Amino acid sequence: MTENEGVPFLEGHYSPTLDLWPIEAKEFNRIHTFYDNLKEGKYTTTKCKRCGYVSYPPRVICPECYCDELEWIELPKRGKAITVVEKLTAIPIGFGEPLIDAWIDLGKDSPVRHVFSRVINCGSGGIKEGDEVQLTVFEVPGHPIEWRKEKWIAKRVYFAFEPVS
Amino acid sequence: MTNVNATIIAGAMCKFGIRQASYLDMVQEAAKDCLDDLPGLTPKHIDGLLFASTFVGRRSCQVNTAPVVAERLGIKPTSICARLDVLCAGGSTGILLAKGLVESGMANLVMVVGCEKVYTPEMWQIQYDEIAAIDHDWDAPSGIGPPPLWFAAIAKDHIKHYGTTREQLAAVSVVNYAYGTTNPKGHFQKELTIQEVVEARQIATPLGLYDCCPLSDGAAAAIIASEAKAKELSDRPLVYLRGGSQVSLHSITANWPGKHLGDWQHLKLAAKKAYESTGLKPSDISVMQVHDCFSISQIVELEELGFCEKGEGGPFVASGQTGIGGTIPTNTDGGLLSAGHPFGATGIRQGIEIMKQLQGRAARQVDGAVNALTHNLSGANVEHTIVIYSKEPKK
Repeated sequence: MTENEGVPFLEGHYSPTLDLWPIEAKEFNRIHTFYDNLKEGKYTTTKCKRCGYVSYPPRVICPECYCDELEWIELPKRGKAITVVEKLTAIPIGFGEPLIDAWIDLGKDSPVRHVFSRVINCGSGGIKEGDEVQLTVFEVPGHPIEWRKEKWIAKRVYFAFEPVS
Repeated sequence: MTNVNATIIAGAMCKFGIRQASYLDMVQEAAKDCLDDLPGLTPKHIDGLLFASTFVGRRSCQVNTAPVVAERLGIKPTSICARLDVLCAGGSTGILLAKGLVESGMANLVMVVGCEKVYTPEMWQIQYDEIAAIDHDWDAPSGIGPPPLWFAAIAKDHIKHYGTTREQLAAVSVVNYAYGTTNPKGHFQKELTIQEVVEARQIATPLGLYDCCPLSDGAAAAIIASEAKAKELSDRPLVYLRGGSQVSLHSITANWPGKHLGDWQHLKLAAKKAYESTGLKPSDISVMQVHDCFSISQIVELEELGFCEKGEGGPFVASGQTGIGGTIPTNTDGGLLSAGHPFGATGIRQGIEIMKQLQGRAARQVDGAVNALTHNLSGANVEHTIVIYSKEPKK
């Protein structure tokens, strides 16, 4: 792009409409604890203190009884890849190759039985159905925040699964 | 509720495909052909507008699009003027809501128009934007916004649990592409062989190029009217909007409602509700249009809608049961696979084909068709929408 192409006056500005990642910061998200926990290597969600229902994704109210007194609990960080798929063409920008996903069984004792997640840190064909996988947390690009008179860059993380080596 | 029955009296699609046109150009093309479908019908007859589109608000710098569309079409709505964002089921949702508006007495004549402008000036946005089509914070970072990966997982689970074969998946594409040869406004008009489908470039194994519907620009428009208005404006057989349903049980993939990915409990529930709303059962349905965004989706839909036993969708299609003369002719205008899939327009395209079938003027006519069904799924299979049409009102 040259200075006369696209929308030149927006260069260097951040727009959530094109952001692949969640806005995780506490100024914009009441479940920021999930991401804070991820930074400590914990995979968590919310449980209702009144009825005991575990909801995923985490929320600010219990979807069963609408109680707003919730606590954070840990989920298993290991599971088994039940169904594995790989996209071979037209991979969206921002993902890189290979783009592998798996339907993962977190085990019969987990309150969240399955998740569908990207599998990273392995090459094409590097994960097979039945293989063990584990949670992995990684940094993703931050974004600027303007809050009252201050401005800073909010750092972010996200998660995927990887083969258990 | 007043004692009014809603009918579909006119409809048309513009040419679907990679279009050198804006979304506003395409809705005008579809609306013109829609009114031309019923001579005497003018914009002044129309008192309501429902505009179905998910991506026009994202792929342009325009929100609140319904008044923009209404103005371009010369329509001055006095009962409803709203945009619907239900992704692939936007058009069907508009038809269901127009039925409610007409039957409540709030509207007399509603145009339901759907459109997507998929092809953007730079190609990267076409695939990338689909990260917005699923639960953003929890599924988009997994890369399943562009849906082939997710439906490949569904296909793998169906194969695993029911023994569905690669050739049976291919049979869906072969049948639907053959139907599409008589739809000049569809994205494609060509025949395929099983071998061509099986040997095509892989997109996400086991799905190849022809197992996936194309990305298409396009628009479609239909007119929903009260029975009294329909009789005033048209001499054609009446086609009633007899009933329907819309079911959503989850948003993120982790909350999938089935035992495995080939088990679509939410569609089973939607079918039960739709049949109950009409007093009809699968054996009463003469022809239908289902959401064949992928070959595997049509196979599962035939099962969950009750046209064959669970797990038998593959052999059902491969034995010719969805062709003319089969148990249930399906996607008789080419479906999403051949006609293309401009999301908000798709349910309207399906409704138009059904209207023509029940009026006896379809290109691939099913003789004696009386009751018919359309079905859409939305996004990563998070919502199912069914409309049941009939030559007879609900008794």
